[in-house]
Amino acid sequence: MTRNTEAVFILAGTVLASVGVAMVEFAGGGWLDANVALTFISFAIAFGALHVSFRLWAPNANPLILPIATFLAAIGSIEVFRLDPELASLQRWWLVLAGVAGGSVVWLLRSSGVAVLRRYRYLFLASAMVLLLLPLLPDAWPIHGATINGSRLWVRIDLPFGARALSFQPGEIAKVLLTVFLASYLADRSEAMSTVSRKVGLFRIPEPRHLGPVIVAAAIAFAVLVYQRDLGASLLLFGLFIGMLYAATGRAFYLGTGLVLTTAAGVAAYSMFSHVRIRISAWIDPFADYTGAGYQTAQGLFAMGSGSLTGSGLGLGRPDLIPAAATDFMFAAVAEELGLAGSIAVITGYAFLVAVGFGIALRSRDRFRKYLAAGLTILIGLQSFLIIAGIVRLFPLTGITLPFMSYGGSSLLASASIAALLGRISHEERT
Amino acid sequence: MNTPVRRIVWALLAGFVALILATTWIQAVAGPGYRDDPRNPRLSAWRVGRERGAIITDDAVVAGRSDQNPEDPQNFTRVYPTIDRYAHTVGYVSVLFGSRGLERTRERDLVSHRDSTISGVLNAVLGGDPRPRGLRLTFDDDLQQAAVLALEDSRGSIIALDPTTGAVLASVSTPGFDPNSLVGSDAGPAGVALEEDPDSPLLHRTIATTYPPGSTFKVITTAAALETGIAGPAAEFADPEALELPGTSSTIHNYDDGLCGDGQSVTLAEAFVRSCNTTFAALGIQVGAEALTETAEAFGFNQEIPYALPVLASTMPEAADFFDDPAATAQNALGQRDVRATPMQMALVAAAVANEGNIMIPYVVGDVFTHDGKIESETEPTLWRRAISPATAAILSDLMEQVVLSGTGHNAAVPGVRVAGKTGTAEVTGASPHVWFIGFAPVDPEPGERQIALAIVLEDGGPAGETASGGSVAAPIAARLFENYLK
Repeated sequence: MTRNTEAVFILAGTVLASVGVAMVEFAGGGWLDANVALTFISFAIAFGALHVSFRLWAPNANPLILPIATFLAAIGSIEVFRLDPELASLQRWWLVLAGVAGGSVVWLLRSSGVAVLRRYRYLFLASAMVLLLLPLLPDAWPIHGATINGSRLWVRIDLPFGARALSFQPGEIAKVLLTVFLASYLADRSEAMSTVSRKVGLFRIPEPRHLGPVIVAAAIAFAVLVYQRDLGASLLLFGLFIGMLYAATGRAFYLGTGLVLTTAAGVAAYSMFSHVRIRISAWIDPFADYTGAGYQTAQGLFAMGSGSLTGSGLGLGRPDLIPAAATDFMFAAVAEELGLAGSIAVITGYAFLVAVGFGIALRSRDRFRKYLAAGLTILIGLQSFLIIAGIVRLFPLTGITLPFMSYGGSSLLASASIAALLGRISHEERT
Repeated sequence: MNTPVRRIVWALLAGFVALILATTWIQAVAGPGYRDDPRNPRLSAWRVGRERGAIITDDAVVAGRSDQNPEDPQNFTRVYPTIDRYAHTVGYVSVLFGSRGLERTRERDLVSHRDSTISGVLNAVLGGDPRPRGLRLTFDDDLQQAAVLALEDSRGSIIALDPTTGAVLASVSTPGFDPNSLVGSDAGPAGVALEEDPDSPLLHRTIATTYPPGSTFKVITTAAALETGIAGPAAEFADPEALELPGTSSTIHNYDDGLCGDGQSVTLAEAFVRSCNTTFAALGIQVGAEALTETAEAFGFNQEIPYALPVLASTMPEAADFFDDPAATAQNALGQRDVRATPMQMALVAAAVANEGNIMIPYVVGDVFTHDGKIESETEPTLWRRAISPATAAILSDLMEQVVLSGTGHNAAVPGVRVAGKTGTAEVTGASPHVWFIGFAPVDPEPGERQIALAIVLEDGGPAGETASGGSVAAPIAARLFENYLK
């Protein structure tokens, strides 16, 4: 596969998005209108920008990343359009912005490569902390946090002159910055962390000072859970920390500690917070409190069951009956309208992307790039796994977005940056 | 240093495999359970919110249409502009109460075929029209309005059809209801009130209730006598004041407890015109259980009448159940005791006499038309059954014409039109009688002239209560409807 093949696949994904939007319009009794053209244009600009940036500044980048991303984004944006055309027009702007931002990332790294990021790791750590804390800003300030669905994940900027408020989820960007920090930190320390150890009874444990990062990770994750009441983001962050520690050191100790800490934190959260208890009971039996806590999960199950094998057809189901269908429950909406065939295609798409990402990590000769690729892939893989697992009840429901597919500017921005970084890393390995 | 990364890869990929398995379970194995769960809001939302085709009468009066929601073009509201006039036949689609009537049985035509599934897209590519179809009913709105007006506040039913084609011209069941009140998600109280109303306004009396047909059944008893050759119109019978039923202490009286003729003898024709119970009880015993049941079944009793809506079968007991019981035979021959008929069934009896003994399959959907008004499929009039021979039909037609000219049905007469009919006053223990009229007009129509057969029933005597008879209450309604349709 070459850059030209990549271009063909991106074009195919762009056409897929436009045809899907057209099908939704037919299903709704309409006829072709500007939405189809605008979808085509926004996809062409967003993924065209990424593609051109690869061509110019990362010509040896893995050619599978962008086609898979285009395919996932196409399915997602069709469904966002189907759920709410107004949201879809915002999503188009976000997509263009994300594509251009991703292209800019590749441009910024054009001469010195991703290695330059190592220099700024404490800046990234600090910005990530600030971003994570932003939603806690008091409501009265012009830039302030906002509580949506019980979670304080959002930051809202009130624009002057009565324009609508701009909102974004800083956590989405923070987790990418944290990954860069961790990859850099671990690249310097992993040798020591994996070799130096002391024996305590039957166990060989790392030096206490090397335990520091694990404790810090657990603390940050738990703080997110406590202050932002967000089970999804804290699990994601914690999984990322533990996964990267394990990838870097190969010490099962970190996995074990992580598991113990997760369980302990889970038990503590369960006994301390009612919203966690509600989540758990809605997970075990969503129909026990059908009109209350279990409602969203139950609606997801109804949607998926109604979709059956081949789905209702685009625009012909009722995914609008699922709460938060365009964001957290995107997967259930796709499953209803495209059926099991569509669900499996989407899951396979993420599995494929994860395989490509880890492939890049495995081939990397440089520690930093290896850990960064692995971390970014864990981020995409774990995030898509957690939210889908919540919808299909393999795991308690966590309110996080589906990368590339859900509505949301911050999420798209983060996903496009991850694609750009993975592309650049793979380019550097092949040069 | 790649080993841990590989382990993470396998762990995550195993997670994705688990996702695929769980999704397959939910969508393929447990799917139908979730899909059909009564709490799944799709069930009713799908039915109610989609565009449905229009339902119009033969003279283009709209009885049902879908209005697009201006704020959500994918969402439609079903509107029934004729309110209660076609409520039972057209039915409704409702969020809370499901669907009924043609809205239920003809849903395949009425819902949008617009579809982005593969077959739907293929269909559209191949030139198929994906938009919903409309139904043109055979109803004559003018006649339907007259029929609604005629029943007024009574409980009852009127059904009129073209005997030569089976096309239903009017079908009314009273009391009616407003289907618009049941459509929305706020229809709970209205629906419960209708369901609990002691007058059962939701009941489609024309096809879903049976009544004892009373003297209108004498058409069938006479047909049995004629077909078996046991008695002709000129056959003479004794004329007692009361007929003692063999083997019992009970007696059969005439409607006014009087004689039928001069007290000596009476012909079958005279007894038919005056609707004499004494004569027909004796005739019934002569004809016997077997011929009675066989003839009733030839007219469609004990069978489901093929129709656009499910029709309750009218019942005539098996011959084996009453052949050795002359009292039961006599009472059944008078359309009492165990005989029960829907108004639809009795209209078909009148239609058979009008149509040389042949019963056409009754139909109410004349044609199915596409969104742009092109007729997609038309209902071909089809013979259902030959109830009686043309000769028997001719004699019965003559007798029924005499009923209107000089007998119990004289109130059904329309000047200048040859009207045939038979009245019925079905005794109900402890309540006022159900009053009937079945008939048709004109007798022997000129080629090209239109003809109408009908059945009218008013429960508990209608407005006249216990003094009511078929001749006094139901026959005048028939006259108004004949006049309305034929002039």
